[in-house]
Formats: sequence, C-alpha cells, structure tokens
Amino acid sequence: MTARDKQDLFLSVIEDHKGIIYKIANSYCKVPEDRKDLVQEIILQLWKSFDNYNEQFKYSTWIYRIALNVVISFYRRENRIRQISNPLSEGILHFADTNDAGEKEEAIVFLQQFIAELKELDKALMLLYLEEKSHREIAEIIGITETNVATKVGRIKTILKQKFSQVTT
Amino acid sequence: MEETNFVLLWKEQYEKIDQSLAINKRILKETISQKARSALRSLIRIKATGIVAAIIWLLLLGAALFIAVLNYSSAVNYFIVSVAAIFIINVKALCDYIKHLAWVNSINYDGSITKIQKKLVRLQLSIFQHVRIMFLQLPFWTTFTLSNKWFPQNVSWMYIIFQILFTASFTYLAFWLYKNISLANANKKWVKSLIEGAGGKSVTKAMEFYKEIEEFDVVG
Repeated sequence: MTARDKQDLFLSVIEDHKGIIYKIANSYCKVPEDRKDLVQEIILQLWKSFDNYNEQFKYSTWIYRIALNVVISFYRRENRIRQISNPLSEGILHFADTNDAGEKEEAIVFLQQFIAELKELDKALMLLYLEEKSHREIAEIIGITETNVATKVGRIKTILKQKFSQVTT
Repeated sequence: MEETNFVLLWKEQYEKIDQSLAINKRILKETISQKARSALRSLIRIKATGIVAAIIWLLLLGAALFIAVLNYSSAVNYFIVSVAAIFIINVKALCDYIKHLAWVNSINYDGSITKIQKKLVRLQLSIFQHVRIMFLQLPFWTTFTLSNKWFPQNVSWMYIIFQILFTASFTYLAFWLYKNISLANANKKWVKSLIEGAGGKSVTKAMEFYKEIEEFDVVG
C-alpha cells in the first residue's frame, strides 16, 4: 500500500466512524475549545496506530479502544491544553448546520449530566452500552470479563434510574 | 425510567448530530501529515524548561568539580567526594526523567482500556519513583564545606560530634525517604503532600486513578 493509499484509507475510516469520535469527545469534554483539541489528539493517536491495525477487530472496536484511552489519559494530565502538539484554530469535526445540535429535551440533558458525573471507567462502559455494543465487545474494549461487564452495567443503570427518579419527583 | 429508554434517549440525541457532522478534510490531512511528527518535539518543548534548568545546574556542578580536580590538593577531598556524589545522583535522576517522558509519549493506545491505563499510570508513577533518588544527595550537602586543612584536627570535639550527628541524621533521613516514598505508601497523607508540594499533582491523580482501575477490575 502506498503512502497515499494509506492516507485515503485512513480518511475514509475516519469519515465512516466520525460519530464515535464526536460522541466520546463530547461525553468527556464539555468545553468546545478543549473538545477540538481532544478530537485532534484522538485522530493523531489513531493515525500513529493505523500501521499496526489488527484486522481481527472491527474498525469501530479499534477506534473505541484508542479514543477512550486517549480521553481518559487526556483528562489526567496537568496543563492538558498546553500539551496538545499544535492547538488548532479550526476543528476537525464540525456541524454542517449548527442548528442541528438543536434544542434538547430535558431527559437528554439529564442523561448527559448523569453520565458526565460517572467515574472515568464507568463512563467508558456506559458509553459502549448506550452504543448497543454486546457484552463481549465491551469486555474486549475495556479489558474485563463479560460477567464483570454485566454486573457493572446493571449497577450503573440502577444509579442512573435513581438519579432520574430524584429529578422527576 | 425503563432501561431501554436510556439507549433510545442516547440514539435520539445523536441521530441529528450524526447527520450534520462533517469532517474538515484539510485540517485532518494537516494533522496527520505534519503535526503527528511534531508530537514528541512538542512534549520535549513543554518539559524543556525543567530539563534545561537541570542541565545548567549539572554544568555548574561539573565545572566546580573540574576546577577542584584540576587544582587538586588534599584540602578539597571532602568537596570533591561530596560534589561528585551530588553530580552523579542528579545525572541519574535527569536521565531517568527524560527516559520515562519518552516512554510515556511513545505508548501505543491500541489495547484494552484497563491494560493501557494501568501501563500509563505505572509509567507516570515510575517517574516519581525515580525522582526519589534525589533525596540520596542530602547527606553530601552536609560535608561539601569541610576541608582537610582544618577538619578534624583543628576543631573541637564538640564540633566533631555535631558534624557526625548532623551528617548521620541527614543520611538516615535520605534513606528513610528513599525507602518510604513508594507505591505501597502512595495513599499516606505525608507522601501525598510531599509530592503535591513539589508540583506533582498529576502524580497523585495517577495514584487515585490506579486505585480506581484496581477496584474496577474486581467483579461484583
């Protein structure tokens, strides 16, 4: 594969899975400026790992692994914004129509808020659950057993339900 | 709320966004063509101030040592031994620091989250474990001003006892700190405040996160 082919393939993979990158960045980072840098960091790490992509896994699994590892590490660093190699004036991902971000229903706002309050690893687990990944795939991405996935997902859902009932009563 | 509703809510939230999300291909190409290569340079630039300051300090120590050896007389024996020890300990600490920064930066993120995060946190903590070697230089700071010209023959026995106690207590303190600043004691209050006082807040964050991963790995 030539360098050009590799770049084209990478661009098409990112194009096909841009939603995953956006959702992860958005769930871990609410500040638009930081989010732009975070997306750049994710893309950089994906590109660095692209040569060693293991075809045994789906592209989506590969992206989830790297993107989640990047966001979790990103938020543990000190002076994280300055550590970005080259802060961008423009973002890689943007909305064609900004109105599509739209007005959100109250329940959606609460769901986002409650997910944001979860611990980093619980948040990663919940994102994968909400993306309707199988327990097996979640176990592969997170690196725990399927039984552990089932137990933890159940527990987090109970916590979310409790929080929802508190705000709706 | 029914459990499936969480998934429905999530889908609803991102459906519209998915449709309107676009990639700025120009920025993406720029990112992967030029900017990826500069990532390591950038990390070095960020940490450069500390590294440059350490190198200047080593050069000063080295110069003092060089001059002392060049104009050698038995009067400067204490100075040479003390400064040489301080110099070697500082060189070792700096080399470990640079080596670990390079390791942290070159880590491959493609792996399960708990595995990669454990590896990252361990690397981050190992920077701090290597930095503790700096404490071993403490006793040498109590001896570098001594001179064979006047010590011990021209001082009172009181001074000799004071000097021995002074150096011995610093030696004990140095080894005690070296031994006790470890991962096993990471949760102790004094270790935390010592590290945070030295600007290592990210290290304490890493320790807390390590605990979180350990707990996360446990079923039930």
